[in-house]
Amino acid sequence: MNQKTMRLRVLLWLPFALASTCVTAQTTSAAPPAGRLLASNCFQCHGNNGKSNIGFERLAGSSSSEIYNELREMRSKVPPKMMDMHARGYSDAQIRLIADYLSKQR
Amino acid sequence: MNRRDFFRLASMAGIGASTAGLTGLVNAATPAQLGTVPTNTGISGRVVVIGGGMAGATVAKYLRLWGGTGVSVTLIERETAYNSNILSNLVLSGQRSMTSLQFGYSNLATRYGIRLVKGDVSAIDPVGHSVSLADGSKLPYDRLVVAPGIDFDTIAGLETPAAQARVLHAWKAGTQTTQLRNQLLAMKPGGVFAMTIPAKPYRCPPGPYERACVVADWLKKNRAGSKVIVLDANPGITAEPLAFTNAFEVVHKGVIEYHPGVSISSIDASTMTLNSNLGSIKANVINAIPAHKAGKVVIDNGLANVGGRWAGVDVLTYQSTAAPGIHVIGDASATTQPKAGHIANQEAKICADAIVRLLAGRSPDPSPITNSACYSPITADTASWLTAVFAYDPVSRTMQPVPGAAGEAAARSQDNYKEMIKWFNTLMEDSFA
Repeated sequence: MNQKTMRLRVLLWLPFALASTCVTAQTTSAAPPAGRLLASNCFQCHGNNGKSNIGFERLAGSSSSEIYNELREMRSKVPPKMMDMHARGYSDAQIRLIADYLSKQR
Repeated sequence: MNRRDFFRLASMAGIGASTAGLTGLVNAATPAQLGTVPTNTGISGRVVVIGGGMAGATVAKYLRLWGGTGVSVTLIERETAYNSNILSNLVLSGQRSMTSLQFGYSNLATRYGIRLVKGDVSAIDPVGHSVSLADGSKLPYDRLVVAPGIDFDTIAGLETPAAQARVLHAWKAGTQTTQLRNQLLAMKPGGVFAMTIPAKPYRCPPGPYERACVVADWLKKNRAGSKVIVLDANPGITAEPLAFTNAFEVVHKGVIEYHPGVSISSIDASTMTLNSNLGSIKANVINAIPAHKAGKVVIDNGLANVGGRWAGVDVLTYQSTAAPGIHVIGDASATTQPKAGHIANQEAKICADAIVRLLAGRSPDPSPITNSACYSPITADTASWLTAVFAYDPVSRTMQPVPGAAGEAAARSQDNYKEMIKWFNTLMEDSFA
């Protein structure tokens, strides 16, 4: 397929693509828990919902303030270890959401 | 083979792989720790996933964990187990066996109720919303996730199967990894191992440099006087420049010879000669990693709308910009993020979350974050690391590195090496267990 046909094809699909991401059908399901998607960035090393016991520190069930404060302290550690670098990637509000979500996991 | 036979085979392979690849971790984690599929989320839909690598396995698992039993998930995969690319360079040094890096699919089936279909996709019908398999069967979907990983260009001179059997890439872990190990074992002291690195984007940015280090370290101890010649198509080291510059100039000085900006015009497998802008280079072993493109199913089905090689996606949902209802995740998609297993796992979660929301009539999360992380062995017992956090930028509609949240280890260390093994186990648990 050449560049032009490809562009054309993209343009033709665009309205459908937009329509399908902007669905506003009625729903009876509960909204996903706040912070879950953000916290899922922790799962690769700390297990699903922070419950792993095979690797790095278990996070599930720690108090929200404990997780929040620890992540905030990590931001200023020099030289940064890997987790210290990660902590620098989130705003205070995002860290709060992550900490709240993980603290509720049992 | 009928479907029942496949399930029997798949679960056998899964059990074999569990004892090998997931040693010490499956036994340690209980179902409650791993997570269970909820029953009454009120969300329903049929999702088909093509490809059971890091991205495909993770999206299948999290679609069930977050979508519940109403979201049926079918995973199409042609192999009976996944061969991890992560840590596969350690097969070259004899520190890992390839079977210790295999992960079966039985956990996904038994723990999360994912339907496994072993087979090859022959076509995607984006209008009729179905996937046809080579055996003639057809799978309808509401949402399709395509995660085939990468495919390679052919290097001039390596067109025949015989040439490809002599000059290996070993860049899709598996048989070729073990074969490359055997080629190393057959080297004599004072030999030459030459490897080529393709231009970006390619899978696992630090991976080729890591391979040069692992091979050099092994040759030093086992084939004295040997050299590793690294021929890089890129203008310089593309990842962990601090760690690898130190590795090439200090740790493996006199063994690794690094050449940036090299273009390979052809390789002659019968004389083991590389022809390049540096002239002809002869070697005892040539490990040529060709230029990458998205897996065949992406190219064949009109999804490769970025340069004809990669799938353009909206990174809020990973929905294809070429076809609605189809999502492309992992190495096959064109994003600003690296092509690697750890971040593919996170792309899969963003995609699973978005699909669950879309099936429920909601909008995707407007501000997703992903993280990339990996460890790179520099010697047999030290490693370095690299990480970056990416956040959605609504202006460019791309994932952009968060300033100050990306970088590499200050120095290689034995602690990093130990952490690498822990990270590997937990990452594979999150994706396959």
